[in-house]
Amino acid sequence: MKKIVSVYLLVLSVIALTVTGSIASEVKVHKNDTTGLLTWTVNDDGFQIELIQLLPDFIRAIYAKHSFPKDEIERAASYCVFGTILKNTSAQQLTYRVADWRYQTSDGQQYPVKTKTQWLEEWRKAGITFSWTLLPDIGEFSEGDWQQGFTTIKIPRDTEFDMIFKWQLDGIEHTGVLEKISCAPESLPEM
Amino acid sequence: MKHILLIALLSTSFTLVADWQQPELSHNLTVIKDVIPAADFELQDMDEEKIKLSDYKGKVILLNFWATWCPPCIREMPSMERLHQQVDAEGFKVIAVNQMEDIDQVFAFTGQLDVDPTFEILFDTTSSVSRDYAVRGLPTTYLIDKEGRIRYRAVGGREFDHPEVIKIIEQLMAE
Repeated sequence: MKKIVSVYLLVLSVIALTVTGSIASEVKVHKNDTTGLLTWTVNDDGFQIELIQLLPDFIRAIYAKHSFPKDEIERAASYCVFGTILKNTSAQQLTYRVADWRYQTSDGQQYPVKTKTQWLEEWRKAGITFSWTLLPDIGEFSEGDWQQGFTTIKIPRDTEFDMIFKWQLDGIEHTGVLEKISCAPESLPEM
Repeated sequence: MKHILLIALLSTSFTLVADWQQPELSHNLTVIKDVIPAADFELQDMDEEKIKLSDYKGKVILLNFWATWCPPCIREMPSMERLHQQVDAEGFKVIAVNQMEDIDQVFAFTGQLDVDPTFEILFDTTSSVSRDYAVRGLPTTYLIDKEGRIRYRAVGGREFDHPEVIKIIEQLMAE
């Protein structure tokens, strides 16, 4: 197994919690020592979120493996795609809906995050029946449950954005913001 | 050549994605309060034989939904194999329901694992069974009792041979 040596950059974020008050939460930003790709991790109010930069070539490989048409492979790879891992770290029932999430660009505009349902509708029109890899639209997690999948953001690759998450714990809504998220580069720098 | 490069890239990238900070595999299972019957189904196994869930009525079943491209599915497989080896086959069965892949893909995949899985692998090639079981993400696992009712659920990878999981299974077997 390839050993990945990492350098941890601890960044105090400005994650605002609308229900429990404004408490700065600790976001860990991890840089892969080999590739330079970044991962953001935060564990806030029982919801652990991890966003992992994924290269376009990785996305191309995933969907080529599942025999997607070339134009659909390229369309998927044109998005900023993040491996997204979500976990309920509380003892409460956690729910989330991707449709409630937003990404905010530097001009303050907010946009909805594209859902798995939206992707599947487009794929079906293209004759694709494959229905996995994307983060499920809805999660209902008991204690210890976790799930992963792709989150896709349509944004120029060299721009940053803030990711606004919403989730509920035993019916009470929480909001968190991950600031200054960046997309993976088009390719890794040549060594 | 292009195919080989794609596989190499996929394998390398997947390792990079899979290695970093995947949550630890816990062992807790969620009790299903409103117990429901497990939907019967008929799927092919690795030998292209048709297998029904109801063939195993009278046994406790660990029903796991997975795919070869799913990192936590791969991580929990060794514990599923240990569980399969450890618990009495007379009263218990592990069934891993693969999503939308074929026998050749899975055969090649299992050949690369450190531990060769000997539990039942079935092929849900259209994901119709996963829809019947309201599986949103992989892996998702259910424990079904001897009467064919869903009693426990786990979303995400688990260490299935943890003593507390085995205790639950043995309690269901003793019912």
